[in-house]
Parts: sequence; C-alpha cells; structure tokens
Amino acid sequence: MENLIIDATTYTPRISFDAQDALLIISGKSYPENTFEFYKPVNKWIEDYLATTEYENISVSLDLEYLNSSSLKAYFDMFDCFEEAQKKGKILNIMWLYDEEDDITEETGVDFIEDFESLDIQLMIK
Amino acid sequence: MNRSKLRFLINDEGIVFSFSGLISQSLTAFMIKTVQEQLDETITDTTMKKAIFLISAEQLQNVMSYSKNKNLDTKSQCVSFGSFAVGFDKDKEKYFVTSSNEIDENDKEKITKSINFINTMQKEQLRKFLREQLRTAGNKHDRGAGVGFIEMAKRSSEKLEYSFEIFDDKLYFHILTYI
Repeated sequence: MENLIIDATTYTPRISFDAQDALLIISGKSYPENTFEFYKPVNKWIEDYLATTEYENISVSLDLEYLNSSSLKAYFDMFDCFEEAQKKGKILNIMWLYDEEDDITEETGVDFIEDFESLDIQLMIK
Repeated sequence: MNRSKLRFLINDEGIVFSFSGLISQSLTAFMIKTVQEQLDETITDTTMKKAIFLISAEQLQNVMSYSKNKNLDTKSQCVSFGSFAVGFDKDKEKYFVTSSNEIDENDKEKITKSINFINTMQKEQLRKFLREQLRTAGNKHDRGAGVGFIEMAKRSSEKLEYSFEIFDDKLYFHILTYI
C-alpha cells in the first residue's frame, strides 16, 4: 500500500503514514474549516491499511497541539477504527504526546483512554 | 471620524484584538495567530492561552458556518460577514471572546435551546456530554459536528452569554464567553 503523506498547514496537521514500517504519525494543529473533507482520506487510508496489512503491531504517534471540536469527532472515528482492528487481532500501540504545561491536550488524551478502554494509549510528555 | 474616539473606545473595552467584516478560514487562522502573539506578552498560563485559542476558533468557525449571509463559493470554502473580538474585562479581571453574525430566523430557537441546555451543566457533565455527542454524531458530517457550544462552555469560567438583536430588519446573534 502507498504511504500517505500530507504536509501541515496553519490549520491542518502533518500526516505521515508509513505502510512498510507500520508507523502512523500525525502532528500539528487541527482546526480545518471542513473537518470531514480533510480527515475522510486520512481515516479511509487507516481503515484500508488495517484491513490489508500483514503486520500485527502498528504504532501510532499523535502529537496534536490544538484540536477543535469537529476535529475531535474525526479522532473518535479514527479510534473506533483502531478498536475494530484490535478486535480482529491487530495490536495498536498508541502514543498521545503533549507539552508538560498543556493540561487541555493531556485531558483530551485521558478522555480517549477512558472512552477506548480496550486500546493501549500511552500519554507522554514531549 | 474622531480619531481619538476609536482609541478610547478600544482601550475602555479592554480590546486586545477585533475585526469586523468578511471572515474566511485563512483570515481565521491569521486572527487567531495574531491574538496568540498579543497574549504571549501578557499571559503566562498555557492552559488559559489555549482556552482563548480554542474558543476563538469555535466562535469564528460558527460565524463561517451559520451566518445567514455566507457566500458559498465552493463546497469547502465559505466566507461570511461577522464581528469578532478578544479583550480583557477590567471589572471581572477575565479575558473574553465575543462574536456576532446575522443568522436565519429558523436557527434562533435551535441555538437558544442548545445554549440554555449547555448552561445548566457543570464542567464534568460537559466533558461527558461532549464525548457522548461525538460518539453519537454518526455521519452528521456537515460543517462541524455541532458541538462547538459545548467546547466553548468547557473552556469557559462562566456560563455562555448570548443575545439576539434585530437591526435593519436583520436578525443578529451575539455570543460572549469569559475565560
């Protein structure tokens, strides 16, 4: 499967999905005007990749400095995808990065941990 | 125009940044960045700065999405007339974010019900309610997931203040959020 690379803009994060290394990285700010349009291909790639890859262990690194409410929705959908894949035998290792003084991003990570109990989500100070 | 009047007006209201006119996504990004730079000088609390950023983003995106007189030039591009300001209220000793835009009469009741309900909730309830809404939003993928007011309330230190006003036969929605 082709890698998915999308450069960051002022209001969208950098997407760097490496199919061969089973490493999915998202970093930056996320407050696009039309969130669905931005995340549709991103979440589609993840869905297709998780359904077809032979790798068992997939690493995900999320370093999201700003997430508006509609972006949060896109991440809920993404985590649903991760949960589905895990039920089918994949092992997802998810890292949620935040700055030490940034309580808001830390709290968002905690919310994901509480809402997706079956997933292994590690909070990590940058 | 009385030149000193403008300066006094801005100073009296404690305005850090304000804009009134056609609002687009690229202008939103620029305005938020400018607000951040201004606040970097006066606020050291990262969480507070971030709350101002997030509330500003939600309000500006609401202006773009729900303005009655938006110009939809393509599917994904939208520009709307609106007003936006960030300032410091000297009496309350709190920062605030406020915006105004013209809305459709049909949206008045929806907005009223939504904010009144949100205003009954405490922080922990808002946190749970937001997650519940995100979970159940399903494929309601129109412009925004409709959870902007919840996010604003979560980041605010007071209840959301709002009002409607008819001016020149047009209906305007104003919202004011204290951080």
